[in-house]
Amino acid sequence: MSSTRPRRWLILIGAVACLPLTGCAERPATTQGVYIHLLYFIILTLALVVFVGVEGMLLYSIIRYRRRAGDDSEPPQRYGSTRSIALFFLIGAALVAILFPYGEQVLALVQQKPTPIETINIQGSQWQWSAVYPNEGIATSGKSFVRSLVIDVPIGEPVHIHLISNDVMHELFVPNFFFMRNAMPGFANDFTWTPTRLGTFNGQCAEFCGLGHARMTLVVRVVTDEAFLAWVQQQREALLKLTCPPTSGNSLHVTAKDISWNTNCLAVFPGEPVSLAVTNLDAGIDHNFAIWNGVDQKHQFFATGKFSGVATNSFTIATLPPGKYYFQCNVHGPAMSGVFIVGSPKRGGG
Amino acid sequence: MAVIQAPPLARPEPVGRRLLVWLTTTDHKKIGILYLINSLGFLVVGGILALLMRTELARPGTQFLSLHAYNQVFTEHGTLMIFLFIFPTLAGFGNYFVPLQIGALDMAFPRVNALSFWLLPAGGLTILSGFLVKGGAAAAGWTSFAPLSVQGRSGQDLWILGLAIVGTSSILGGINFIVTILRMRAPGMTMLRMPAFTWSVLATSLLVVLATPVLTAGLIMLFADRHLGTVFFDASRGGSALLWQNVFWFFGHPEVYMLILVAWGIVSEVLPVFSGKPLYGYRGVVLAFLLITALSFTVWAHHMFVTGAVELPFFSVTTEIISIPTGVLFFNWLATLWKGKLRFEPPMLFALGFIAMFLIGGIDGVWMASPAMDFAIHDTYWVVAHIHYVLFGGTVFGIMAGLYYWFPKMSGRFLSRKLGIWQFWIQVVGFNLTFFPMHILGLRGMPRRIADYPPNQGWTGLNTLATIGSYVIGIAIVLFFLNVFLSLRKPKDAPADAWGSGNSLEWATSSPPPAHNFDTLPEVRSGRPVYDQRASRQGLVRGESPA
Repeated sequence: MSSTRPRRWLILIGAVACLPLTGCAERPATTQGVYIHLLYFIILTLALVVFVGVEGMLLYSIIRYRRRAGDDSEPPQRYGSTRSIALFFLIGAALVAILFPYGEQVLALVQQKPTPIETINIQGSQWQWSAVYPNEGIATSGKSFVRSLVIDVPIGEPVHIHLISNDVMHELFVPNFFFMRNAMPGFANDFTWTPTRLGTFNGQCAEFCGLGHARMTLVVRVVTDEAFLAWVQQQREALLKLTCPPTSGNSLHVTAKDISWNTNCLAVFPGEPVSLAVTNLDAGIDHNFAIWNGVDQKHQFFATGKFSGVATNSFTIATLPPGKYYFQCNVHGPAMSGVFIVGSPKRGGG
Repeated sequence: MAVIQAPPLARPEPVGRRLLVWLTTTDHKKIGILYLINSLGFLVVGGILALLMRTELARPGTQFLSLHAYNQVFTEHGTLMIFLFIFPTLAGFGNYFVPLQIGALDMAFPRVNALSFWLLPAGGLTILSGFLVKGGAAAAGWTSFAPLSVQGRSGQDLWILGLAIVGTSSILGGINFIVTILRMRAPGMTMLRMPAFTWSVLATSLLVVLATPVLTAGLIMLFADRHLGTVFFDASRGGSALLWQNVFWFFGHPEVYMLILVAWGIVSEVLPVFSGKPLYGYRGVVLAFLLITALSFTVWAHHMFVTGAVELPFFSVTTEIISIPTGVLFFNWLATLWKGKLRFEPPMLFALGFIAMFLIGGIDGVWMASPAMDFAIHDTYWVVAHIHYVLFGGTVFGIMAGLYYWFPKMSGRFLSRKLGIWQFWIQVVGFNLTFFPMHILGLRGMPRRIADYPPNQGWTGLNTLATIGSYVIGIAIVLFFLNVFLSLRKPKDAPADAWGSGNSLEWATSSPPPAHNFDTLPEVRSGRPVYDQRASRQGLVRGESPA
């Protein structure tokens, strides 16, 4: 049968192609990842042609043109023609002419910004990730050397990521999403993930950021809409439940140590200014203390300057209207945050 | 070296005197050898650091290097290998062989040449001394991205200072090579008769002179941010973190070509000699070198695709275009082998190994040239695999080809063929065991520069394999040093044209050459003066009458 020969060829090509592919164990979990995964295979095909061609010619020459014992004659002295050199340039140019436009097409698809259903502000800081869902008013964070950031995203919807850093360069990388992007001080990055597969996907910082770089991890859980709403509800309730009695004399002292505040709840009496002492025990690391309207960080009511540890500085917070506020260190975001309550629900005590 | 060949009645010079000769020499050949000895010393240090890293990464968990220790080790490994092993080795070859290949007496500025050498150990030891100070050595990577590098302790200052010294050495050397090549050529040695190796040194020197001052400027800015209160890289006070990357990679990508061009030059010398043919398409090779030199200044931001802050299509297309002249080199090398009579001496083995391995490094660069693809593999182990296929599979194989090729010229003795063949095969196996799995680790999402990884990611087996491979590389390098040690104890028996098929002028003088390089210089009437000399001598025997 004449048809068995081509089939055998196909199997052979398939087997050769599979060799490097076994490595590509990650399956894409976003629309963007699917495009990039495909681009990987297109380039792989071109690469295999070049690889087999060049290594094949090399091997052929090594076997065919080895000098035989006793043969002292001189091989033909060919210096090469202009025409052949021009051809060598053209072969490369042809490959680029295929590769570049296709790469650009995939790039355009990956960089599309469809109207997002969800927005997440992700912040990298030494050495944890934190995330704010401004529309839902919730925030969550990992903790240096202790735990990963865990965030939920709903399946099938474009999720807009707004990525920043306030200390050094970091890089958000989720291998299954086939995507990494730097979190940089002073320059926010915006991009879209459209998850297509339910599951739990590990990620971590991919830009070297100092001592704890290897431990700066996160987990993205792609969940159904219902599960996502339930998770949001649960996070909100946890935030609402957070309360504490006001401090006597409106004199607060907060301490930063190991990229954490000593408390996640501060309360003061209304109608009086607050005296605030901030102690930074993290040597060489900048912190500040800022009060915002809420986790969505639409309005900042108060902020100290950044200062590095070990040091203690004192400040005065002007009178704030009663209500529930959100405080954080702006360098580390939700990784160092809590609620700031003006006017206790049960006024009493000393 | 001529001293050793003195008549038997002369008393041998005392050791102290000979040492003084080497310490004060301005002879380009002695300086070239000093460069090589110094570089091989730093290869040993950088190699030990690499083995420490691989040992730590063999299994998940931190076994014996703390996070901070690991971060120092990978920073110093990259810095030493790039700035103090690879580049100075190539400069050492250039020092020894450029004046010989163009028929010159010495470099244009012999004392500047000695200064550029002596700055190297000074700079290297300054960087290494970081291990002795409080807080340890620099730990921000060989790229030292700001603002992280603004945070580091005094080890980072030593890194800045040391690198500035090394950079000064390169700039002085680059100027010296350019002047030597343009002004000191023997009669008849036109530019287009210069060996490809000399062209590669010229192209590299142009890159050094144009790009290295940019690095020096960046280092000064970094130092000023750290100590003088400037805010070049502080975004919160009007600076820009990205500025460092633009400055660094504007130097850093030409730097990659500084690290490979001379290896291309070496391979372009070795292949013809052991194929019995001229270099195919010599003018195409020279054109490719010059195009790459020019284009290498237009591709720097392909290191920054993932910052989201660069013009992607421009840097993507320039990066793909620079692969065209690189491809031309491959075609020329293959065409040089075609219908030749190949002799598999160790230099040839390493040159062929270079083609086979560097090809892989070139190909996997093509994935990264496509920005969308780069988003998936940048800053993973894929990039570690890529750089090592280029700088180890490429440059180090090229360096080994050069060492085996020129050792008889420099010392008068051949390195052992048998040990060389053993070293070659062990090195090929070890190299691929170490670095091929890193492609797969990258595709599986293992980021580079992590001191540790969790056991549940499926990265363990391949990391163990890479660690085993790195020990195998270690064995190959030990064999090399053993070969040098044993060969230097043998009597000098290398003839002037050591391989019997040399083309360029270094093969026209004794091995090793006299202090003044040439007793008589052959006439230069083509790009292959020594071949012409041989052909005219053998003309009658071969029955080729020069019509």
